Amino acid sequence: MLILDLIKQEWKKSIRSRGFYKNIVANLFLGIFAVYIIVVFLFLGFSLNSILEKVSTSLTPMEIVNGAMFYLILGALTIRFLLQQLNTFNLPLYQTLPIKRSTLVNFILIKPIFAPINYFTLLVIMPFAIKSVAGYYSGIIAFRFVLSFVFIIWFDSLTAAFLKRKFGSSVFAFLAIFIVFASIAALEYFKLFSFFVVSQKCFGWIILNRFGLFIPLVAVMLAFGWNKRFFYKNFYPEQFNQKLKGAKISTADFSFLNRFGIVGELISLQIKLMLRHKRTRTILLTSVIFLFYGLLFYTHHSNGDGMLFFIAVFMTGILMLMYGQWAISWDSNHFDSLMTKNIPVRSYVTANYYLMMAFNILCFVLTTPYFLFGSKIIYMHIAAFFFNSGVNVFLLLFFSTFNTKRVDLSRSSAMNYQGTTYKSFLIVLPIMFLPMLLVGILSWVASLSVALWTVSILGLTGILLRKPLITVCINQFNSRKYKLAEGFREQE
Amino acid sequence: MIEVSNLQKAYNGITVLNIPQLTIPKGESFGLVGNNGAGKTTFFRLILDLIEATSGGVQVNGQKVARNDDWKAFTGSFLDEGFLIDFLTPREYFNFVGKLYLKSEGDITLFMESMQDFFNGEILGTKKMIRDFSKGNQKKIGIAAALLGEPKLLILDEPFTALDPSSQIRLKRFLNDLQAASQITMLISSHDLNHITEVCKRIVVLEKGDMVKDLQTNTDTLKELEAYFAV
Repeated sequence: MLILDLIKQEWKKSIRSRGFYKNIVANLFLGIFAVYIIVVFLFLGFSLNSILEKVSTSLTPMEIVNGAMFYLILGALTIRFLLQQLNTFNLPLYQTLPIKRSTLVNFILIKPIFAPINYFTLLVIMPFAIKSVAGYYSGIIAFRFVLSFVFIIWFDSLTAAFLKRKFGSSVFAFLAIFIVFASIAALEYFKLFSFFVVSQKCFGWIILNRFGLFIPLVAVMLAFGWNKRFFYKNFYPEQFNQKLKGAKISTADFSFLNRFGIVGELISLQIKLMLRHKRTRTILLTSVIFLFYGLLFYTHHSNGDGMLFFIAVFMTGILMLMYGQWAISWDSNHFDSLMTKNIPVRSYVTANYYLMMAFNILCFVLTTPYFLFGSKIIYMHIAAFFFNSGVNVFLLLFFSTFNTKRVDLSRSSAMNYQGTTYKSFLIVLPIMFLPMLLVGILSWVASLSVALWTVSILGLTGILLRKPLITVCINQFNSRKYKLAEGFREQE
Repeated sequence: MIEVSNLQKAYNGITVLNIPQLTIPKGESFGLVGNNGAGKTTFFRLILDLIEATSGGVQVNGQKVARNDDWKAFTGSFLDEGFLIDFLTPREYFNFVGKLYLKSEGDITLFMESMQDFFNGEILGTKKMIRDFSKGNQKKIGIAAALLGEPKLLILDEPFTALDPSSQIRLKRFLNDLQAASQITMLISSHDLNHITEVCKRIVVLEKGDMVKDLQTNTDTLKELEAYFAV
């Protein structure tokens, strides 16, 4: 079995990569996170039945799920389109060996289906099927229900890969998806056309009818066929890699920054870096999504002050936090260049400082609509802004010097933990939870205003003392410089 | 210009470079040869303060290079692709580097035009990013960027490898002209004994971290080196 050999080699590639063992602590953290997700999903699965029973009395829980199915498929497709990494199988490596091309293509297409992350949704669906579907209908129907989900996962995975290979993930694709979604939601909301009813009927038939499952199966085969046709048409890897390489570059001009000398040059370089790499672009996109985080929390009044402040710090500092964690590591590819050209260390560190401050101001301005949620939120955000600009920015500058692992920017997108070590987690923990604890305790012992004044004053002190604090960061950078340079030189 | 004293670099207790004393006067063209693992790149990295010496140190113009920014203003260097910024186009990269050395836009344009011959017309016209260029062209970009700041000290690690024959000859002529016209100090390593003897007035042979030969180039130098490296 040739395919088995290929799978084995891919497996060896991942466990023999240099980062694998070194990174065991980071993997441990990710493992804990995975366990957390599994527990949450299972819990949701077991309670879904009773939740849905309360939603409607006329429909069975399964009928509601069927109605939502259309949206689930579309939603999953979108998320996959945005986040799913295309299988980067080293085609040229095998192309010269006597292996049939169709075997290779099949491998590329089938491999992602074995990724366990695909089947996380089953953790919700299986308990639900056992508890609800088997109860309302029968065991065999519950089985078909689960099976239809597996087919849908395959369909989504294959279709998303196809769309991504074909169109790439441009801003336009993102906009197009958004428009399609908005119009579908509008149709449903204004009761012009209900996809819910259609979807409920369709999937009801698929699951209840004895031969219904053939339909998703055919859909999977069709999606597989599209992919195969695509590879058939684009025979050489360079043809389908072209789009991924991002041949076009945004040549936006940041010449207004030139006035600020070397620091300005470095900032504009850093902005170019962020706009020209997929991984950093994804960070920008994720940050925008996180800006809506407040809608989830500010609408409930049950949250404690500490928690609210945590959210405020998170939202007004999201870009800084995302960027700052790897503030120096972003430059790992060209670190030697920056260290040997005429760039005083002070300029380098100051550039990073100003860039993070700019991110802070940007996020603060973008989150001002939350001021509509009341004066408490206004004070929270202002205090958080001061704290981010006076304390967190320096913590990030200081601790980011411990991230000595090379960050490979050419690898794409979210859920990419390459270059993550346990240190990355250790950096973020105090930055996120210290202010939360501080505000939580102070507002409990004294009052909220005391708590907010305390963090604001801490922040303002930091802003006023920025010169000596930057010097502290410079000394730290200087003492870690060789470790950084050595770590960045080591390719995975 | 460069003063090396008691310089030692060890990894895990194994000494990879040991230079008790070495002086490179201003305006010298200094060549470094040696087999793989001889310590050539390590030596250059120590001069450029990219690694920390286990003991001893390097002084440039009487100042220690370690944790110092002053030498950067008059030093141009290219060791490997890490010295490039690969997501920029060559033009953007030259502009960036030029600005760092306080060159005006006009100076930078003039410089790029003077490099057209060396680039063989392949580099400046396109909007490709540096990472999409071939190894040889990347090397040309890196060498050009090292020269952009009109350095007084130039450090190049194996500048001739990966270049096509015409470019090798052009580079050789270019370095010789530069040497004749200005009082530039050059440190160049190479595996090609022909090239190095044509470009450098002084050649040092490293073996397993030790300086084993220190020669002033003359007509017999090439033969001597060939005899030394013959197996």
